[in-house]
Amino acid sequence: MEDKQLNEQESLQLITEMIQKAKGGFHESGSSAILWGSAVGIAGIVSFIESYWNFYIGFDIWFILFAAIIPQIFISIKENKNKKAISREERNMDAVWMVYALSIIAVTFYTNIMPWASERLASGEGTQYWKRTVATGAVERMRLFVPSASSVYLIIYAIPTLTVGIARRFKPMLIGGFVCYALFFASCFTSFTWDILFNGIGGICNWLIPGLILRKRFLKQKAGNV
Amino acid sequence: MFKDLDPILHSQLRLAIMSLLIGVQEADFTFIKEKTNATAGNLSVQVQKLKEAGYIDVNKQFKDNYPQTTCKITQQGITAFEAYVKALQEYLQVGKTK
Repeated sequence: MEDKQLNEQESLQLITEMIQKAKGGFHESGSSAILWGSAVGIAGIVSFIESYWNFYIGFDIWFILFAAIIPQIFISIKENKNKKAISREERNMDAVWMVYALSIIAVTFYTNIMPWASERLASGEGTQYWKRTVATGAVERMRLFVPSASSVYLIIYAIPTLTVGIARRFKPMLIGGFVCYALFFASCFTSFTWDILFNGIGGICNWLIPGLILRKRFLKQKAGNV
Repeated sequence: MFKDLDPILHSQLRLAIMSLLIGVQEADFTFIKEKTNATAGNLSVQVQKLKEAGYIDVNKQFKDNYPQTTCKITQQGITAFEAYVKALQEYLQVGKTK
């Protein structure tokens, strides 16, 4: 390409051509999707076979998801090395996957910690739960799992705010999202009374504060345009 | 009255660079070279002119022991590009009505 002067028509043609060229430069390798699809698929099917035919393979098959993190690191390093440009769409997609990964970690933590947290809260209230099998009359301690909807809501609150915060690099939303995740972790160890307070604080940090900041900017911009 | 077309943008290679950068978050020097089919020397000169005008940010660093130059459009660059496209459209609109 030379550095020549263009007429208006040629300029517009060049802009269109270059924008198309930039768009065409991005291709998903699909490696990560294949990796995680295979790992979750195998784990689910093996778990089903174990449960349906009532046997145990000797280890928890879902641990292969942790093993899949290692090739994922190599895939990410390789893809970043070969990347010559980052599109805005790609940055937004990265934000979605980042928040998804955080939420999966939070949900895994939730399902593993809740039985322990439920037992702790019950013993704090001086209660124990037992179950009796009607046919045999056998009585044994029951493993509690008291679901905490307020905790789950906190993860859901954080998802859109954090995604938009990362994609637009808007700090108040980033902070709001992370506060919700922090409150979620705290809520796993507290009673319902505290959980609903955390929901309120989550709402303020997640939406109210970023909303007020956005409103202030909007009004300032509107005043400037008049 | 027509607005004058921005002389910084009204050149083939500089306009090509800006058109590429408007659609991406950031791009490698090699990516721009590949897409524009320009020589490295000419591209360097035009990138420098865009940088001096404040239309792009140029970041030089080392990646795996090799020098890497990345370019990113600035807010000033986006505004100038939008104004340039708007001015072009005005010219072309008048051409059509004549």
